[in-house]
Amino acid sequence: MKHEDEKGADVDAGRSVGVHADADTDRNVGAPADADTGGGPVAEIRGLRVVVDGRAIVDGVSLRARPGRVTALIGASGSGKTTTGLALLGEYPAGAHVTGDVRVADGGRVGYVPQHPAAALNPARRVSALLTDIARAQVRRLPVRQRRAAARDRVLRALAEAQLPDGEDLLRRYPHQLSGGQQQRVVLAQALLLGARVVVADEPTTGQDALTKSRIVERFRAVAARGIAVVLLSHDLDVVRALADEVVVLRAGRVVESGPARRVRTSPRHAWTRELLHGRTESTGPEEPATGPPVPRGREPLDDRTESPPPGAPAGDAGQPVLRVRGLTARHRDGARGATVVLRVPELDLYPGRSLAVVGRSGSGKTTLARCVAGLHRDHDGEVLLDGTPLPRSLRDRSPTQLAAVQYVFQDAHAAFDEHRPVVRQVARTAVRLRGTDEDTATREALTTLAGLGLPEELAHRHPGRLSGGELQRAALARALLARPRVLVCDEITSGLDTLTRRGILDVLTALVRDRDQLSLVLITHDLDTAALAHRIAVLDAGELVEQGPAEVVLTTPAHPFTASLVRTTTRLTAGTVT
Amino acid sequence: MSGLRSFVARRLLLGALQTVAVVLLVFALTEALPGDAAVALAGDQPDPARIAAIREAMELDRPAWERLADWAAGLLHGDLGTSLVSGRPVSRYLADGFGPTLLLAVLTVALLVPAGFGLGVLAARHAGRPVDRLISSVTLAVYAVPEFALGVLLVTVFALRLGWLPPTAVGYGADLLAHPAALVLPVLVLLSRPVCSLVRLVRAGMIDALASPYVAQARRYGVSGARVRYTHALPNALAPAAQQLARTVDWLLCGVVVVEALYVIPGLGTVLLGAVAERDVPVVQGLAVVFGVLTVVLNLGADLIAHRLAPRAGVAA
Repeated sequence: MKHEDEKGADVDAGRSVGVHADADTDRNVGAPADADTGGGPVAEIRGLRVVVDGRAIVDGVSLRARPGRVTALIGASGSGKTTTGLALLGEYPAGAHVTGDVRVADGGRVGYVPQHPAAALNPARRVSALLTDIARAQVRRLPVRQRRAAARDRVLRALAEAQLPDGEDLLRRYPHQLSGGQQQRVVLAQALLLGARVVVADEPTTGQDALTKSRIVERFRAVAARGIAVVLLSHDLDVVRALADEVVVLRAGRVVESGPARRVRTSPRHAWTRELLHGRTESTGPEEPATGPPVPRGREPLDDRTESPPPGAPAGDAGQPVLRVRGLTARHRDGARGATVVLRVPELDLYPGRSLAVVGRSGSGKTTLARCVAGLHRDHDGEVLLDGTPLPRSLRDRSPTQLAAVQYVFQDAHAAFDEHRPVVRQVARTAVRLRGTDEDTATREALTTLAGLGLPEELAHRHPGRLSGGELQRAALARALLARPRVLVCDEITSGLDTLTRRGILDVLTALVRDRDQLSLVLITHDLDTAALAHRIAVLDAGELVEQGPAEVVLTTPAHPFTASLVRTTTRLTAGTVT
Repeated sequence: MSGLRSFVARRLLLGALQTVAVVLLVFALTEALPGDAAVALAGDQPDPARIAAIREAMELDRPAWERLADWAAGLLHGDLGTSLVSGRPVSRYLADGFGPTLLLAVLTVALLVPAGFGLGVLAARHAGRPVDRLISSVTLAVYAVPEFALGVLLVTVFALRLGWLPPTAVGYGADLLAHPAALVLPVLVLLSRPVCSLVRLVRAGMIDALASPYVAQARRYGVSGARVRYTHALPNALAPAAQQLARTVDWLLCGVVVVEALYVIPGLGTVLLGAVAERDVPVVQGLAVVFGVLTVVLNLGADLIAHRLAPRAGVAA
């Protein structure tokens, strides 16, 4: 095995791979193949152990990043992905005790694209600020007069390489004036400008819709094509499937399995890997027909009654709709006089005991629709009728009964709780406030509901900060349920959660609609897999309701071109053949 | 950008209305005070006939609203009226008093900005360590001392006991710059509390900014420490500090009565004090107009700076 750089020369590949093996002895099978395709590793971690407060958050992790290859670290939230990724940058949690070996070739330049690129951009400075500072360090050798122009050239070239052609204009803008995609590309341009040989991408696709995801996949594929080693930290298996050459599966800080992506995917050796891939494995692999609908993915629909389905006849067994939206036109005011119409929904019905998924890309008006229904967005025409009675536009004007009838669960569960009071008290409060229950009964009811959603009493008495995202989202659901709602609006409540946690929450929703006859669900989502669980699907594009109908019909025979492209992209992304 | 322009226009209109309201209020309150300029002029000969004569001569026997209307009509032509007591134009009073006040304000701000930002950044850099504790506790302690108490203390120690500095500016006239020693103590007193509030604001903002992901990104890409602190982190800590700074400048320019009176500096504060004591209504009103306009303009400026520093927040009024 050849190593191109000096620092990697003393690395023994066989031993490095051997670190991963705990029971299997034939793990080295992958190593010769790697040696053929890639050069020596530009970055390597061996036996990394990070201990914080006596707890090992990363324990014996090894991985190698080769030029032009994508190494994916996959695992549930809290499995140590980010800690491992940041170790490549030489950054560790405060007070951590670190042992092991982290080598980065060639001056150690490593780029980092964090999960929220917006957070890595300075809100008070123009986009050019950090880029210019990075470039300035590279032009020190030039005469003073040429430095400025040379630095600017380098910046513009890096922006162009990051697929941002209109650099001149872009540099003058502030981060908040860029789209999410542009922000990510600017952060990527910083890494390219730095001349990074390794780029660590932390959850680059979390919370993005299928079309955006496929663009992000493209972006990182282009980065790898430049000969840069990409280390992808993700729980998004679709993206891992589409991008990764090598996969390292982490669980609780330990490597449970690693190897070429395809091998891990098609024949996972560890039970945990199988569980992580579960529910999707049978449809993986590039062999899958690229046009197959994402619906029959072996997952249960929200409700087994779908087997005698209501397709075509939404009324069916359901009787009168519980919620009707008529002639809704919602606006957003920006500044003094401008008001933009952001949503038009002429007609939308929700039947008791049924679920409706509202699907669309980011910015398509999904959340605005949910907010209009919940009384959080007042600036709209048209009516939202609950049992035939129009609901007041503003939350403030709604009666406690009306408030209880429509409950909202937000995407960010952490932001939706007061961090200074125990979860159970905040959950119980709904019953006290909206139904006039006394404290004791409310607390008992809260504990029962929380337990029913999989949150034992011990966790319920904790403060929100000490619960995980998934646990807190269950608590948020319990809080909404304590109002005994007729309509439960779930706004992207699973995006940002890892696969296993997401599946847990979706199972909870499935059980809810099954067990509570009169509860109707509105699922706001960009994820067609999630939408497939609903009875009906409404598709929004750029604020227009372009299609609605029974889930199977919309997903298998989409009538509108936008829906068709959404379905196609999802399928392609799942199949790992983004083109 | 047109949004910003209409914001400025609206704020200026609102500011004009606020200034009018302040002037009306000041006029009403001065009228409500017992006695008037005639009584004050009569001094130790409070003979009713004499007071009535003075009152007639000063046209103080006319109804209050007529006098106000006259004065307002003059104001529209840029005439602030004449002093009841001395007969000199009010604008002269303002011009005379503005010099020393402006001098004190400029000196104070010139020291305040580097001291406030420097100490704030220093404290944030060492957050939780001895340097930060020292700065934080001293600033809190000094902030708790009112100006008059600190002023008296400084005069007692440095002027009376040690004899290093003159206790007041008595006898130096309006040309204070020729006697810098007389300025040391007033500037110190003026600095004391603003420095403390500014340091604490900058420190809090900097601690947040230094812990932010964008600062982490700048650091990991090799930007030097000082550059990260002053060009990447500090701009994010500036917005609240800029607002506080505008309030301080406003406070300084509107004549810090206590400090000017204590050190006998012939600034706007002293002019105001004298005019109120003599019930010299036109002078008081003139001062109210100037103070009102200053406050409106300075706060608008601070809002524009804050908008520039936190472009995301947008503008609201």
